Amino acid sequence: MTEALVVVEDLHIHFGAARAVDGVNLAVMPGEVLALVGESGSGKTTLIRAIQGLTHPTSGKVLFEGKEADARHLPDVQMVFQDPTGALNPRRTVSEIVAEGLRIEKFKGNEAEAVSTALSRAGLRPPERFLRRFPHEISGGQRQRVVIAGAMVTEPRLLLADEPVASLDASIRGEILGLLRNLVDTTGLAVLVVTHDLGLAWNIADRVAVMYLGRIIEVGPTEELLDSPKHPYTKALLSVVPETRGMEQQILSGEIPDPKRIPSGCRFHPRCPVLQSGESERLGIAERCRGEDPAIISAAATREAACWAVKAIAVAG
Amino acid sequence: MTALLSVRDLTVTYRTSQGEVPAVRGVSFELEPGGSLGLAGESGCGKSTMANAILRLLPAGITTTGEVLLGEEDVLTMKPGRLRAVRWTGAAIVFQGALHALNPVQRVIDQITEPIILHKTEPDKKAAEKRAVDLLGQVGIPANRAEDYPHQLSGGQRQRVLIAMALACDPDLLIADEPTTALDLMVQAQVLAVLEKLRAERQLSMIFITHDLSVLTYVCDRLAVMYAGRIVERGPSDQVFERPTHPYTRALAAAFPTIGDRESRMNPSGLKGDPPDPAALPAGCPFHPRCPDAIDRCRDAEPPLLPSGPAQEAACILARP
Ligand SMILES: Nc1ncnc2c1ncn2[C@@H]1O[C@H](COP(=O)(O)OP(=O)(O)OP(=O)(O)O)[C@@H](O)[C@H]1O
Ligand SMILES: Nc1ncnc2c1ncn2[C@@H]1O[C@H](COP(=O)(O)OP(=O)(O)OP(=O)(O)O)[C@@H](O)[C@H]1O
Ligand code: SF4
Ligand SMILES: [Mg+2]
Ligand SMILES: [Mg+2]
Repeated sequence: MTEALVVVEDLHIHFGAARAVDGVNLAVMPGEVLALVGESGSGKTTLIRAIQGLTHPTSGKVLFEGKEADARHLPDVQMVFQDPTGALNPRRTVSEIVAEGLRIEKFKGNEAEAVSTALSRAGLRPPERFLRRFPHEISGGQRQRVVIAGAMVTEPRLLLADEPVASLDASIRGEILGLLRNLVDTTGLAVLVVTHDLGLAWNIADRVAVMYLGRIIEVGPTEELLDSPKHPYTKALLSVVPETRGMEQQILSGEIPDPKRIPSGCRFHPRCPVLQSGESERLGIAERCRGEDPAIISAAATREAACWAVKAIAVAG
Repeated sequence: MTALLSVRDLTVTYRTSQGEVPAVRGVSFELEPGGSLGLAGESGCGKSTMANAILRLLPAGITTTGEVLLGEEDVLTMKPGRLRAVRWTGAAIVFQGALHALNPVQRVIDQITEPIILHKTEPDKKAAEKRAVDLLGQVGIPANRAEDYPHQLSGGQRQRVLIAMALACDPDLLIADEPTTALDLMVQAQVLAVLEKLRAERQLSMIFITHDLSVLTYVCDRLAVMYAGRIVERGPSDQVFERPTHPYTRALAAAFPTIGDRESRMNPSGLKGDPPDPAALPAGCPFHPRCPDAIDRCRDAEPPLLPSGPAQEAACILARP
């Protein structure tokens, strides 16, 4: 088996009373795209910052190639954020922006050549046309490609992307996603991408991990997980994707979950349709739903959901 | 049936240091009472400009021509006093990116009561407050949150306050510009369900703007797709989404894959080239430089919006029945 590039072990990150990440295990393999989806405020960005080494774990570990992750890994770990405009210095040319990562790592090779290669790979061809332009002289989609070129120039092994296409035009979105997938297939890069957009996961991800209130509550290969979700939260999430209109919508009610007050038992239980409908009662697990925390999903899990009902049904059937 | 809103040959031209920017170039459509029109199109194609022009909310110095008939009256030539009244009672707008538009030091209930008192649509302050609480209830915000300040609410809750506010004076038409784009899926679904309910219960007409076609198909009966300041395709929403006849609509529909569709798995679909610059549009069909189907004739003249199927129209010379 190939070695994991990143291993997250029983990670907890607290901000005061808020348990933003509350027990996460995760492995990212080289050459894979892993999509991290989940509700706003569920801890996705916090988890990504910890992998970058920018946020310190309250407890648990983040290992990058077996060593504790810290900001020194930066040339090997690069970031792409949602808003390309905010990420680019308006007074620098495209070529200076892309070269920045090389200068930080005191690159000894041919800088101009490395920059041109990165721009071409990011689909900005011919690179000479873009080298001397400033960010305001190129389109929004081209700006995001400059960000990707800047992230790729140091030939990182891991790319962390937080909503990389949310701010882009529908028509440009496909091109950027295609580019990312292509880089993964041709260079063995690993990508961990945070998104609200399940269509993006369908488009490029090998695996999907679903977060809810600081935990990964379901993980699996993209097709399996999106075609037949198991956890009630994932099911509800998929039912409200606008294009799955045949399905009956399960709009979750109740207060927005608060990491300062994580419910006892299964953290999803106050909003869970399975418990609310009496199904948990029938399965004989209602007490557990309310009082016993389902086991944390292990990093090695290929397909798993942290839910008593899923377990009960698997045992019965 | 007489139309509630009838927009005729609307044009909007911005003036910049680089010259004139024709952002809306001749748009016509009608909306019936209780009807809902979805407006799609990529960033910069003129959707917000048009929405603001309908209520004459664009800053001075911008040239607007054409007619915007709300009932019998033309909004574009209305007296200022009448216009102020129409803006709350006739038609109201939820602005794009307005989550920060709420006054941070005023309780949400007071922000909703204000226009009701100003326009005297309720007899007194007490009745206005009761109405505000009712409206908040209708958008799913419980009465005990009415006294909250905006920062005490989540993004989705604030978005719903903005919708409640737009409905304060019981308008006949609601224009919602990207009201769910910044929200996560579950909250987006909550907001869409609220709008759907209001439409069913109060015959509210709606213009709903976003670049996500699947959201529009979900909410609206009819759909119009804009490109470079014009409508390039329109028709019943299911039909436009499932059988688009304009190549641009096809690209837009493919950009948001259907989960489960094997063809789009590991195969994201995009559109080559850059969005058009409204200050320098290409000759002929403005879409031709990016169009996968373009032929020589596409460079000759800009195609008019003509029937492309039953009840469907497209501005493309290849999309004729
Ligand atoms: N520096 C901080 N101090 C205090 N609380 C924080 C801090 N950073 C994040 N949080 C809280 O931790 C939780 C998780 O936040 P995070 O930004 O990781 O969520 P997310 O899943 O990325 O959400 P979104 O999808 O909205 O970006 C939230 O409740 C947030 O308010
Ligand atoms: N005040 C202004 N002065 C000059 N040009 C403007 C101004 N406001 C908008 N524009 C231009 O007019 C065109 C239409 O803009 P508009 O905001 O209507 O687009 P949109 O379709 O709403 O886009 P988005 O989906 O990004 O909101 C764009 O090219 C924009 O750059
Ligand atoms: S463990 Fe119980 S409450 Fe939690 S998701 Fe499963 S069925 Fe619902
Ligand atoms: Mg985040
Ligand atoms: Mg807009």
